[in-house]
Amino acid sequence: MILKTNHETELLDYGERKLFSYLHRFLGKKIAVIATIYILSFYAVGIFANQLPIPNPNQQVLSLEARSQGPSREHLLGTDRLGRDLLSRVIYSARTTIIFTTAVIITGSLFIGLTLGLIAGYKGGWLDSIIMRVGETLSGIPTLFLLIAISAAFRTYINDLGFWFEEHTFFGESGPVFVDFLIIIGAVVPFAWIGSSRIVRSQVLVIREQEYILAAEAIAASTWRIVWKHIFPGVIPLFLVGLSASMAGIAGTEVALSWLGLGVDPPTSSFGTLLNEAGGIRTFAEFPHLLLAPAIPVVLFFFAWNLLGDSLVDLAEPRTVRE
Amino acid sequence: MSQGIGAYLIRRTFSAVIVLFAISILVFLILRLTPTDPVEVLLGQKYDAATASVLREKYGYDESLPIQYVTYIRNLVQGDFGISTRRLDFTANEIVIPRLWVSARLGFFALVIAFGLGIPFGIYTALNRGKNRDPALIGGWLAVDAVPVFVSAPIVQWIFALQLGWVDLSFEGVFHKNIILPVLLIALPGVAGVARFMRAAIIQVMSEDYVRTARAKGLRNQTIVLQHITRNALLPVLTVIGLSLPGIFAGSLFVELFWGIPGIARESLDAILANDYDIILGLVLFGSFLFVMVNIFIDVAYGFIDPRVRIGASRSAV
Repeated sequence: MILKTNHETELLDYGERKLFSYLHRFLGKKIAVIATIYILSFYAVGIFANQLPIPNPNQQVLSLEARSQGPSREHLLGTDRLGRDLLSRVIYSARTTIIFTTAVIITGSLFIGLTLGLIAGYKGGWLDSIIMRVGETLSGIPTLFLLIAISAAFRTYINDLGFWFEEHTFFGESGPVFVDFLIIIGAVVPFAWIGSSRIVRSQVLVIREQEYILAAEAIAASTWRIVWKHIFPGVIPLFLVGLSASMAGIAGTEVALSWLGLGVDPPTSSFGTLLNEAGGIRTFAEFPHLLLAPAIPVVLFFFAWNLLGDSLVDLAEPRTVRE
Repeated sequence: MSQGIGAYLIRRTFSAVIVLFAISILVFLILRLTPTDPVEVLLGQKYDAATASVLREKYGYDESLPIQYVTYIRNLVQGDFGISTRRLDFTANEIVIPRLWVSARLGFFALVIAFGLGIPFGIYTALNRGKNRDPALIGGWLAVDAVPVFVSAPIVQWIFALQLGWVDLSFEGVFHKNIILPVLLIALPGVAGVARFMRAAIIQVMSEDYVRTARAKGLRNQTIVLQHITRNALLPVLTVIGLSLPGIFAGSLFVELFWGIPGIARESLDAILANDYDIILGLVLFGSFLFVMVNIFIDVAYGFIDPRVRIGASRSAV
């Protein structure tokens, strides 16, 4: 390979062409496109939940005939055991999922995972060993187990902290909800970085051996500049692939924790709590809509991320798509 | 740089011991940070200060944290998991071992099913790459993977127990027909992962020179697929066994809750919620120990089966 003096523009050009060919191939995969559309609409509905013409998700109607209704014109998905509109609760559950996944991705995968992966890969040596050893230690514990332990351990502190937030900060009544999220996000983040930092590290190890990195080192570019300008852009595609493949798992963790009663507390709605309320076999036999209404959208959400992740892995791994 | 298998084993064991110590300290600290008092849990309604202090002394909860930790580890190394603060009539060993035995067998069945289905599906989809069958089958298994156990369990129970009446929902032991549904619910979500991994491995091997050579010398397709491709592609799939254990555990938790199976996953949830110190710590350590050992075993087996692999260097570089 010839040492390019103008390697940056070359790289950019190459990157752009590669991006377009990715995009082209991606649009050729109908399943991936449909999955993306579903995910985007899921996020849109959740984000704009308070703009939608739906009843208040926490509005209880306790008269006997208003509870556990089947679907009707007034309540499109029916009502739950406390007479609350199920469609609203499902939509607000989507919002819970969105807040949770976004927070975990930004803090765990993006901030911690990417940084540690770059450091471990580029610096190597004892820093690399420590980071990878810590990751190995954490992934050596059954994750759900430790998550349960952490959220159970800190659960008792929550109420006090929640009330403190309610009285002393601008959060007001949403103070306890904020603290709820803080706990489960804090419980998941220590595990969320491991996968992405491994992917980033392995990419960095490949890129580090490229000649343009040698060239940059030869002209005494600073470490920061090399990592940020030369290595980071090359890491992004595979990082995103890994992220999309792990999204269903991240979102599923919140649902599972909430199902166990260790995630967000009622009345904040979460797919986990909705599914738990409907999960008994007798309840299902009598009121199947209570389970199906939240189950179908959230299972499709997991499925869409699974499909998208699978397609992206296929696109990113040239050996498996060689045409 | 190559090294002997003995040196490698010593190095790995050493690092495994350090990892396990780190985990034990971590979990120990998390548990002790919890404001719940184990003696309060133990006494329940009969709580009074005098009895509490006697019990604290008896079980060593009045000692400093480092001493409690050292005592715990010393007992653990001798095979004594400690006490259960919820049920004083039993030692932790008496509670943990039978439940572990139930879960271990269920988990083993689930592993066998997940790999027994995942490997053939992976081979089949790889050989049919580019045809509609490939994404359809993988997509189908990904759909199965997307359904959490707490969604599928009530539906499956309703269909097979209430409507068809083929099984009932009681736990009658590990070798009873009632166990089929729970095992399937643990196993089936894992098939997608195994199938995808196997598929990728087969596709990679298919592009190797020796496969082309085998075709060029006119071997039967079946011989090439079974002897040349599958045998080599099976190796990397070994590593997935270790990685799939946490998933099996998570699946078991919900299945054990839904079917009332006296297994280890449900026990650990109960123990965590009731802050049953010794049981939680013992279970976490045992689980991590198992995980670490399986991974070491796989690494070593890998080196034996495939002499090209430099032990230790192969997977840590990835």
